[in-house]
Amino acid sequence: TLPRRRLMHWHPNPGATLNSQILAEACSCAESLGGTKDGRWKTSIISCRPITRDSMGAGGRLPPDVPGELLGVALHEHPGLYFSILRTHRLVLQADAAFPHVMEKLQSYKARVSLDFEGFQYQLGDFCLRIGKCAPNNSETMRGIIMEVEYYPLSSIEKSRAIMVDFFDIWQETLAKKSLPGRFIHVESNFSEYGLSDHYSFQHTAVQYATCLQQLMAFLHVDV
Amino acid sequence: MPLVCPDGAVVAYAWKRQLAGQAGASAVDRTRLALKAFTDQKRRFFPHLEDEVLNHLHDGESGIAKRPRMPAGNGELEEKTLSEILKNLENEVPNMKISTYRRLDWSKRASSLASLMDDDFVDPSKELNLQNMGKLRPGSVTTPIDQVAVIELLVPSIFRVVVSLHPAGSVDPDAVAFFSPTEGGSYLHARGLSVHHVFKHVTEHADKALQYFISVEPSKALSMLLRWIADYQTLFAKLCSKCRRLLLMDKSLALLLPPVHRPYHQISSIGSDHQEAYHIGCSSYDA
Repeated sequence: TLPRRRLMHWHPNPGATLNSQILAEACSCAESLGGTKDGRWKTSIISCRPITRDSMGAGGRLPPDVPGELLGVALHEHPGLYFSILRTHRLVLQADAAFPHVMEKLQSYKARVSLDFEGFQYQLGDFCLRIGKCAPNNSETMRGIIMEVEYYPLSSIEKSRAIMVDFFDIWQETLAKKSLPGRFIHVESNFSEYGLSDHYSFQHTAVQYATCLQQLMAFLHVDV
Repeated sequence: MPLVCPDGAVVAYAWKRQLAGQAGASAVDRTRLALKAFTDQKRRFFPHLEDEVLNHLHDGESGIAKRPRMPAGNGELEEKTLSEILKNLENEVPNMKISTYRRLDWSKRASSLASLMDDDFVDPSKELNLQNMGKLRPGSVTTPIDQVAVIELLVPSIFRVVVSLHPAGSVDPDAVAFFSPTEGGSYLHARGLSVHHVFKHVTEHADKALQYFISVEPSKALSMLLRWIADYQTLFAKLCSKCRRLLLMDKSLALLLPPVHRPYHQISSIGSDHQEAYHIGCSSYDA
């Protein structure tokens, strides 16, 4: 059983840009709440597109029911796992880390863009905060800032909701003192549509990253 | 970690461990250490006795402290036996699963919980097994009532509480501890401590509540304790009665905690519906 996690991303004010100052201020807020830094974290999302072939008809167009995008999520705290998500079909699959190699051999979907979410981790009593930036693999260009909040004592999503909302309010109050050009927001993922239960799991984390990516694409024009 | 005897009983005396590490200490040092350990434990577990004993010393009376009587309740359930207490509780709090164990059986259950919880892989069949364990566990159905030494109270997704009875089969609780339902391992016993701050602090408060219940009405202590515990199912939802917030940063502990204190004075054995809740800093009880 896993502790409950909630993912939030930075939503800049209209016209404002992202910069590392915002990230530094968020980290400083974590410390002001009594957080102690205890290491780094990293999650990677790989966006894959189907490989079109001549046999698919004129112009190599895909049949309409073939998903245009397959997302892969790799949680670096668990290098043996790989999660595949089909957003359009609300499917999430937990697989072995060798799965991308299998796909490569099948020549069905090919990785197009890889994004890394990475930063520092802070322990705040029964809470854990992970604050970091989102950047394309092998690039320093910051495309987003995200934050994970984990509450160790509970793994039920429903029972931990009030605590998570309250923590978020305390976080926002603390961050508001810095007068930064934007705010963190949380977009709910519809876990039940993916067939996920009330008990938190890695699949829940993978689905939250997929939702977060969608938000980043919409607001920051990340080309994925 | 407290010592666990072969029969599953736990040695509570921390001073023994301290003394064991100081072979070269003089008799005076050992006595001083033992006195300090006992005084600390007395202050922690019997806070209400300290002033009473001092008052009696001042008055020059004998050392037996007069205990405040609980107000006589009308319509209180007749609960003389352990079976009656547990049966009534099951009816009053249907969403709390109550299980009973021999001491050694509980040790096995606690260890088996560790292997179930350790696996981070979501395995639907394991989750089903966990639920089935609740039905097939070697406890609630088959433990003869006169051998019950451990009561487990589980509110799914909220808490797991372990209460120890001494002697086995009696209605005399002697220890209580709160844990997350996700915890498992040999440290899960009535004198153990959760790895989570929230449950550590509830346990500390529960220790005091237990000692209070024993001191005011020993024959009803178990009944009052179990009902007082049941109120903690709102631990992660009920706002503090003083500051009206859920999470609050406790400045002295530097921890964000929900209201972990529930009042234990003037609790009748039939329980109360609208218990108040307080953060440590908002509460009138000593932290």
